[in-house]
Amino acid sequence: MKTYDVLIIGSGAAGGMAAWVLARGGADCLLLEAGPLFDYEKQRVMKAVYELPYRGFNRPGRFPHITQASEFDANLWADEKQNPYSYPPGDPFYWVRIRAVGGKTLRWGRASWRLSDYEFKGKDHDGYGENWPISLADLAPYYDRVEPMFRVSGRNEGLPQLPDGKLIVDESRDSLSVQRFIAACKKRNIPTTKPRRATGTLASSYNLLLPEALESGNLTITPNAVVREITLDPKTGLANGAAFVDRRSKREYQVSAKIVVLAASTLESTRILLNSKSPRFPTGLANSSGVLGHFLVDQFYVKNTVVAVVPEARGGRGGRTLMGGGGYVPRFRNLDRKEKDYIRGWAWDFGSGFTPPAKYLPLYGEELQKQLADLAGTGFALTTMGEALARKENHVRIHPTLKDEWGIPCLHITQKYGDNEFRMAQDAMETAVELCREAGFEILAQHAQMVPPGESIHELGTCRMGHNPKTSVLNAWNQAHDVKNLFVVDGSCFVSAGVQNPTLTILALSMRASEYILDQKKKGLL
Amino acid sequence: MRRRRVLQAITAFPAFRAPAQYLSPGQAAEETPKLRETAPDGVAQPKTRFLRPDQLAAFRNLAEILVPKGPDRPSAVEAGAVEFLDFLLSQSSPERQALFKNGLDVLNNQSQKRFGKPFAQLTSAEAKPLLEPLTRPWTYHPPQDPQERFLREAKEDLLLATANSKPFADAMSKRSRAAAGLGAYWLPFD
Repeated sequence: MKTYDVLIIGSGAAGGMAAWVLARGGADCLLLEAGPLFDYEKQRVMKAVYELPYRGFNRPGRFPHITQASEFDANLWADEKQNPYSYPPGDPFYWVRIRAVGGKTLRWGRASWRLSDYEFKGKDHDGYGENWPISLADLAPYYDRVEPMFRVSGRNEGLPQLPDGKLIVDESRDSLSVQRFIAACKKRNIPTTKPRRATGTLASSYNLLLPEALESGNLTITPNAVVREITLDPKTGLANGAAFVDRRSKREYQVSAKIVVLAASTLESTRILLNSKSPRFPTGLANSSGVLGHFLVDQFYVKNTVVAVVPEARGGRGGRTLMGGGGYVPRFRNLDRKEKDYIRGWAWDFGSGFTPPAKYLPLYGEELQKQLADLAGTGFALTTMGEALARKENHVRIHPTLKDEWGIPCLHITQKYGDNEFRMAQDAMETAVELCREAGFEILAQHAQMVPPGESIHELGTCRMGHNPKTSVLNAWNQAHDVKNLFVVDGSCFVSAGVQNPTLTILALSMRASEYILDQKKKGLL
Repeated sequence: MRRRRVLQAITAFPAFRAPAQYLSPGQAAEETPKLRETAPDGVAQPKTRFLRPDQLAAFRNLAEILVPKGPDRPSAVEAGAVEFLDFLLSQSSPERQALFKNGLDVLNNQSQKRFGKPFAQLTSAEAKPLLEPLTRPWTYHPPQDPQERFLREAKEDLLLATANSKPFADAMSKRSRAAAGLGAYWLPFD
């Protein structure tokens, strides 16, 4: 069998970008994806919700941890019975996965924010945790190229905590309700901006990265390949390929490659490394530091922190001038000085013009229907996204007995939020209530309850970057300190989470690491 | 141009293809037609098998009171929401099954005690004190009181089961496709 220049494991944002750079750069690449390759034309049909077997409710118990799954797209999400995992009793972790070519970019929310040096150099700023081994200046040239590829629309505001990008400028006019909220924010020097989102019918690795990579003639995509472990040449100490199982037949295979790029998603990549044990690395590949699996972070979400009503819109008087649209409030706490009783910060997404759900109304029957009709299109809501701090005790490890359908050991995931996160959530709720009142909105519901860790689908860390091989797994180029031909380019490399949705940063990091691989190959150093 | 693209996108889905014309035997041999299908709800009466008859009767009256018929929409009962939720409960967790069974039994007991007749025979006005928990303000966490929790969940489920029914879609289809509950369904893969 041939030996590929590069083996890429995973086909989502990270793997798709690695394939796009490496294959077009002349490297002979094999991409393994654990799930199937969907045919969009054949795989989807239009149906009415009443035609579905469970009338849109989904089969009870099918997805105990995937609140995002609807009965329409249920077949897209990873089946938890085939792909189990565990967590400590009473501390659930909601692990949301898509195993298919394109990965989670088939279903992502598309929010595309840059990280700033408040994240990259967070320790310098407030003394907590570790700095990343890179700064915004290192990553900015890659953000500059990724944003146009994903046709990110938004508005530059010149804010240091929310770096400007190469955007399709969103010049749409804000509705009057949004203007009122923005005015209330301005009075307190709280910044706001337009949503910043990738645009297009499908903004995915599936359509934006993989087709061009295939066109180069240097990429082979093999779906349904569930990677068991990365294999190591005991003589050289270098990675020499991977062992995988065919998803459907369960037949075992071994593939050879000179370089391995791991991009299976944050926790799957770490799981593969922890399962890749050898005499040289008895606790997992590239884990001489003992840090692999630790410092799991994400962004905590308080969904619908505040749900309010714009009173002037009642009775169908809203219309597009008053209602509709939305925006984003970037982090504004603890930037220039220490505020409040916590470190770091949080952001809000806000939206206007929906009908408040019936659950918020303490009514039933005809009275409820009348109220819902009166409130149609009057809603204004904010969702809070906050930074969960990196703590060593938040970690993943291999479960001693639990295995997936292919006999591969599974993860035990431990993540808990602490006082810092709880204080942030409380402050976010109280501030949101004050701003909505100042804007003249009626508060319908408010709360500060975070969804369980993982539910934001922004799990990050566990294979972090750093300058010091004793406290990190990867160097500043996403290259394993211990195994120089092994790169991990997905969200597992994050040192801290920030409040920004991470996909844009994952794309930029993967692009940067992949170009480094080409450069090192050219110089004969890999 | 934009309209044409939208139409092309819609007709790309088999459900929206124009009805097939009669083909000659020669043409038919070369075609793979998409045959129209109808879900069982549209052709048959679903059987109920989870709730006891007295519980089912109470649930039916609760549904009628919580989601009554409106000028342009069906009631929960007309939408078959009760029969559907009986089926859904039969496949739900034991905790959820107990919540609904106990909740309906409590309604019947309260009704017998107060009015000397089962909940199924109460008018909306008579039922008001028994449904008082539904007038308490919303809280993020489910209420501690199991009866309040049952009533809240019954209200949510009845509303959704009604909104996702064919009678509701038929009533709403005059407004828009979205109101009729259309979506792209992902088929299972092997």
